[in-house]
This record gives sequence, C-alpha cells and structure tokens, in this order.
Amino acid sequence: MAGFGKRQEDSVKKKIALGIVLSACLISGMALSAEAKIKVTLWGLSDQKVFLEPILADFMKSNPGIEAEFSPYSIDALKQALKVAASSKTLPDLWYTWGGSLGSFYVENGMTADLTKIAQDRNWAAKYNKAALALCTYGGKLSGVPYHLQAMGVFYPKDLMAKYKLTPPKTFSEFEANLKTLKAAKVTPLAFAGKNGWHLMRLTEVVLEHYAGPKLHDELLGLKASWNDPAVIKTFDKLKEWSEAGYFPKGFVELDPQEVETNFYQGAMAYNIEGPWWDSNMLSNGFDPATQDFFPFPTDQKPLRSSSFAEMFQVSNQSDPAQLDAAIKLAEYITGVETVAKYADTYGAPALAKAPASSKSPHVLPLLDTAAKGNFLIGDQALPQEVVQKLFEATDKVLLKMWTSKEAAASIQTAVDAYKKK
Amino acid sequence: MSVRVRSLKPWLFLFPAAFIYMAVVLVPSLNTLVLSLFKWNGASPVMIFVGWDNYVKLFTEDTVFKLALTNTLLWTIASVLILTALALLMAMLLNQKIKGRLAFRSIFYFPSILSAVVVAITWRWMYHPQGLINGFLGLFGVGDNAPAWLAEPRSAMESVFVTSLWFGLGQPLVLFLAGLQTIARDPHEAAIIDGANAWQRFSRITIPMLRETLIIVLATVFVNGMRVYDLIFAMTGGGPAESTQVLSTWMYFQTFTFANVGVGAAISWILIAISMVVIIPYVRYTTKKSEQ
Repeated sequence: MAGFGKRQEDSVKKKIALGIVLSACLISGMALSAEAKIKVTLWGLSDQKVFLEPILADFMKSNPGIEAEFSPYSIDALKQALKVAASSKTLPDLWYTWGGSLGSFYVENGMTADLTKIAQDRNWAAKYNKAALALCTYGGKLSGVPYHLQAMGVFYPKDLMAKYKLTPPKTFSEFEANLKTLKAAKVTPLAFAGKNGWHLMRLTEVVLEHYAGPKLHDELLGLKASWNDPAVIKTFDKLKEWSEAGYFPKGFVELDPQEVETNFYQGAMAYNIEGPWWDSNMLSNGFDPATQDFFPFPTDQKPLRSSSFAEMFQVSNQSDPAQLDAAIKLAEYITGVETVAKYADTYGAPALAKAPASSKSPHVLPLLDTAAKGNFLIGDQALPQEVVQKLFEATDKVLLKMWTSKEAAASIQTAVDAYKKK
Repeated sequence: MSVRVRSLKPWLFLFPAAFIYMAVVLVPSLNTLVLSLFKWNGASPVMIFVGWDNYVKLFTEDTVFKLALTNTLLWTIASVLILTALALLMAMLLNQKIKGRLAFRSIFYFPSILSAVVVAITWRWMYHPQGLINGFLGLFGVGDNAPAWLAEPRSAMESVFVTSLWFGLGQPLVLFLAGLQTIARDPHEAAIIDGANAWQRFSRITIPMLRETLIIVLATVFVNGMRVYDLIFAMTGGGPAESTQVLSTWMYFQTFTFANVGVGAAISWILIAISMVVIIPYVRYTTKKSEQ
C-alpha cells in the first residue's frame, strides 16, 4: 500500500511538472506570437469600409505576422483627427489623404516617409498611373502610395436627356442652350449645392477653365497670376447669370450636396459634376449607374481638361522600420491589381496604370480616360485652404448679390496676398 | 492632532479635485494662452513667437472674425433675453394644475436630451425649400414665395436661433420649474387678499423669490450662448457667405482648416475674456451667498 501511495505521489508530481512545462510553452508561444505580429494602424474614410475591411481581412490571412487595425472616419472628422494627431505626434502608421494642399501639410512638416527609392526598387512606374504618381509627389519626393485617381465629368440622367432630345454638348454655348431648354421644360438644369462650398466649386472651376484657358487657370491655381483677371470676373458673372435664370435648385447656396443627390438620382435634375465614386454611390443608394452617363465639361479649350485629383496612403516616418515595411506592404496590397480586380465593383477609380473594368461601375474607366487626355488639380486642393475659403465666400456673395464679381475677385486676390505674406 | 496637520487637512481633501481641475482645465487653458502668442501650424517643430500679433490681426484684418464676434454677442444677448423669458413663461404655465402637465413637461424637455447634430439634421429638413415649413406655408398660398430659410444671410442666423430655442428650452425650464415649486403659496394668497393683480404678484413675489434660480439660469444660458458651435456647424457650416460664423466655428476653421493654431488659440482666449465679464461676478455672488 505504501508502494501504491508513492506511485500515486510520483504520478501527481509528474502531472504537475507536465502542466508547468505545458503552461510555460503556451505562455512563451503566446509571447512569441505577440512579438512576431506587427501591428499597423490605418486611418481612412468610413464610406470605404465596404471594401477596405474585407481587403484588410484578406491581407491579414495572407500575412499572418501583420495585424492591420482600421479606424474609419467621416471626411471632416478625418481631416481634423489627422491634424490633431500631427500636432501630438500620434499619427497612425498609414493614413488616407487627398492630394494638393490637403496632403502636402504632412509632407511639409516632415511627417511622411519618402517613398521615392522604394518606388524605383519596386518599379511602381509600371504599376501605378503616371498622373497619380505625379500627384503624390511633393518637392520631387514621392510622399504617398497612389490609391485612387479621380477625374470628374458632367453626369446626367439618360432618360431625361432622351425625353427632351438633348445630346451631350460639345461646346459651351451648346451647354448653355441645353440649360435653357431644360429650364423651359421646368427641369432644374444644374444640380449643385453650396453648403461647405466644395460642390459648387466644381462648376466654378470648369467655367473658369472656359474663360481663363489652361495656362492662366494653372497660373491662378499656382498663385502666379492675379485673381483680379477679367477671366475670373467673367466666371462670377456667368454663375450669377445662371442663378438669376433659375438654373439652380431653390436655396442651393445652403443646400447640402446630399440633399440634391436624391433628386438627381431620380432624374428630376439634369447636370451634376461627379467622379468615379458616383457609380458606387448610386449602387449603394439602390440606383442603377447605367441609367446615367457623363460628358467632359465643354470648356472650348485645347486640351479639353477635366478636374482631377489623387488620393493616397501616406506612411508615417515615425514608425519603427518593421512597422514602416509592414505599412508599405499593406498599402501596396490595398492598391494592388489583384485586390482592385477582386473588389472592382465598389473600389472606385484605382490609381493603377491598367485599371480593371467593372460592369457595375461602367463610368470609372471612361472617366480615367478623360483625365489622361488632360487634367488640372481640383481647386480646393490646388489652392491654400485660406484662399479656398475665400473663394467659397466670394462665390456665395456674388450669388446672393452681396458683392459684384469684381469685388469677389478682388477679395480672393487679397486672401492670396495675405497668404503669401504669412 | 498637531496644528500643522489640522491646517493641511482641508488641502489634502481638496487635492484630488484640484489636481483633476488643473490637469484638464487650468494647464490646457494656460497652454492655449501661450500658443496664442505664437505662429504655429500645429505640426511643425518651429514655433515663431509673435506676441500679441495674432490678436491684433484678428481685430484689424480678419473681416470674418469681426462678423463672428458680432454674431456671438448678438446670439448670446438674444439667448439670455428670449430663451430665459420663454423658459420662465413655460415654467409658470407648466406649474399650473392643468390636465396632462406631466406629459407637457416631458414634451418640452425632450429636445434637450437629443444630440445637437440630430437636431440640426432634423431642422435642416424642416427648413429645406421643399421642407415642412414651406410646405405648411404653401397651404396658405405662400409656398412659391417662401424664403430659402438657410440660404439667405438675413434669415439664416435667425432660423438657426429658432432651432436653438427649441433645443435649449428644456434645461432652463426644468430649473425654473424647480424654483417655482419652492415658492410657498402663502405670500401669493396674502397678496391676492391685499388686492394685488397678476403682474404685481409676478414682479413683487415670484421674481424676487426666484432670484437664485434666475441667476443660475442667466449664467448657464450666457455661457452656452457664448460657446455655441455644433448646432451652427451642422446646420450651416458657417455659411451662407460666412454669415452664420460665430467665434467657435471660426476658431475651428482657423485651427483645423487653415492650420493657424496660434490664431485659433487667440480666438478661444477672446471667448474666455468675454465670458469672464459675466462669470467672475457670478462666482463672486454665489461665493458670498454661500458664506452667508
């Protein structure tokens, strides 16, 4: 019996020892796997969640050593969060941003990784659209991984145009004639909304392209020409003329673009300037993109340019080397050909050299073609933000008859001068 | 217990709250004051000391700031006068023994528990050119000529203010109701016997006995008026043509849109300085009262 008790005691001791060894293995295994996993934080837009979340899940499946954490924001909340993070040095490893003066802020303040060498080593020139790479380059340094390339056109409901026997105008005067016909038929010709300024600005800048021409327009955007130029004054005059003719929805100066969208989807309004995201917007709102088509705004200029911009992922240069590599790998994956092809229906216009087509987003590739023929950087990214805000104020005041077109132009030039003195 | 320990005791009890107050209020406020003396974009390692330049430029060069300051002061004065009077009137009505008064109290208090953004979105649709208000006016044949409420500089601010009255009524209403319920009936009954009319009873009995409550309501309405932001930002974004900008919304633009952190900080301190004109006498009054 004593022998049996000793055997029992030995057995218990062995079990305890085994348990300790197994626990130690488990803990060290966990520690090892925790050490091996690199965490990459990504901030982006909430309306891109629909394709970004599955893309991240795919990425983590094929890269088990990397954990990608996505934080979605609305447009203005993202801009604010990035600025706060920049000032507190808590930027994520990777973030979505627009180009121009919106993206340059982080580059100018030394917060983004220089991707020039990586782009050369990995031959991004063959992978990404040339225009997109150029739009992601600041001061000769590639400062973002190209994500979307957006070009805008004038969208219209096909049925509405067929009803009034209107064809896509090829000249500015044909466009005006169409506006007149639609107005006479009690259809609101221009589906634009002025709240926050950026939607109405899309129309202002193509009219400015018409009056100024490409060279002067670029000089105005680069603050190299005076905004007191007659081309600017004529632009404001034309907008005022269209407003007085009743071409815009009632109270459009303070309508939110979303409030106008519904009428536009339903074919109750005629023309709206939108980009490749429009197809997925229509789809997510239950409308068929095939019911609409677009034409490049007829500026009567050569080349016929459309407003465009790039969206990119910027990479923090504050991350440690392993996180930096992982972040770039993640950005390349999100923007890669296979990923874009898999999610083509909702992805929007990729910044790839050869973008895959999607039957559910029929306007994406044709819009990118227009950008290839000629484009200018969209005004609210090309100009400094103080000047953009003054442009919005000036446009509102002309339309509300608070300022003359000359006063509006002069106020923008004053804002330009103040900015240059800064 | 030694005298020294006894004299330290109150400070020890005060320390946790004082520490939190310093950490989340005092230190950030002083930091903002320091920032207001610099030209800084919020991210650059370089901060340029400019002294009072940010303040001077706001008052001399920034036309939108002057409009925002005017709007803020007018908004605050209107809130103090109209919202307070409306809340007192509603409280007096709801203090009567009327059928369904509990339901009415809930109805009038309900808007104050909503989020400002929800209120803004709801009222934007009501003010829409084809919205509820113009639809109602259309019943009287005014529909086509009804204004675009938020699109006209003349009517945009007033329209947002009406929304703020609906939204902000609940809190002062509840405070006034509580105050009215502490007033005994006896002085009123005695006054009636003495032949006092309703206005005399209101002005000579109700108002003096509501003094404490009135001061609290005026102070809170004043502070809320000075720092109005989310309702305006969500309803109009400061437009049309910057006509509805107030100090808080312009501070947002300066700080986050233009990256002029020093200027944004200066605006916040101007806001504090104006608020102190009322807050300091209010705090002195309540401190004196509590010492009595």
